[in-house]
Amino acid sequence: MASVSAADDLTDVERVLAGDIPAFEGIVRRWQGPLINMAYRFCNDRGRAEEMAQEAFLRTYRSLASWRKDAAFSTWLFAVAANLYRSELKRMPLQNVALDDIAELTDKRSSHADFEMEDRDRAVRKAVLALPAKYRDAMVLYYFHEMDVPAAAKSLCLPEGTVKARLFRGREILRGKLPQLLEAPRLKEA
Amino acid sequence: MEDELDRIVSMQDEITPSSGFVMSVMDAVREEASAPQPIPFPWMRALPVFAALGIVLAMVIVGIVEAARMPAAFAHAWTPSPAIETVVHTLASSNTGWIAFALLLTLLSMVFSIRLAGGKR
Repeated sequence: MASVSAADDLTDVERVLAGDIPAFEGIVRRWQGPLINMAYRFCNDRGRAEEMAQEAFLRTYRSLASWRKDAAFSTWLFAVAANLYRSELKRMPLQNVALDDIAELTDKRSSHADFEMEDRDRAVRKAVLALPAKYRDAMVLYYFHEMDVPAAAKSLCLPEGTVKARLFRGREILRGKLPQLLEAPRLKEA
Repeated sequence: MEDELDRIVSMQDEITPSSGFVMSVMDAVREEASAPQPIPFPWMRALPVFAALGIVLAMVIVGIVEAARMPAAFAHAWTPSPAIETVVHTLASSNTGWIAFALLLTLLSMVFSIRLAGGKR
């Protein structure tokens, strides 16, 4: 993401707004990876992630004129995409296992000695997606932005304090539901 | 625990876009660009209608409030002033009530359609 040039974004946006539609391809090429991966973190389904990212690019194209250049293009783009992904998940929720079911499943598995770390990690990520939407969104975007609270707050269009509170609450829920799972490595180290 | 959670959730696999993704997006964008622009709602033309509707509604509200404030004993003896009588007569003869009702219904259906269309996007 760091290699992406803000100047290239600005040039392409201005060209698209001037009627040069093929210039939008530059934007798609530069941002397809981040937008698909952000969608994937929300839905954990590759096909659906691409569909959601395509819709996000379309929405970006439609509202390109509303980008006020006081914020970086990427900030605005991520906010547009995050907003779309959240409403898409509200419209068509994930066929997720309930948080309690994940906890129950992992409790059973943890009784076996050959409990795989990979399975545990997958279960924790599933549990993040099974959180109530406001905590899930904060957590997904926080980790997507490499644990950068201000960036997550900008994508969610929320104050940083609210995002911090939601992250705290989301973690508390996970801690309550998956205690064995999240403490396993500590026990091994001890 | 936070460190462990951070480690697990941050480690999520990165996926690479499929080869046809850019083409697929650009096709959709071109289709969008070639589609005719939606006809904007004629706000300027509708403004006088909305103003008239507002006046009618205000008059109705004033009438209801006046009637409610009037003591029951005077209600039967009350006669409206000639100006009000003229306005009421004019409104009644030109079916203003129905026109106001139709306008209100149009406004409501318009707001409803806009909300529906907005929700779909």
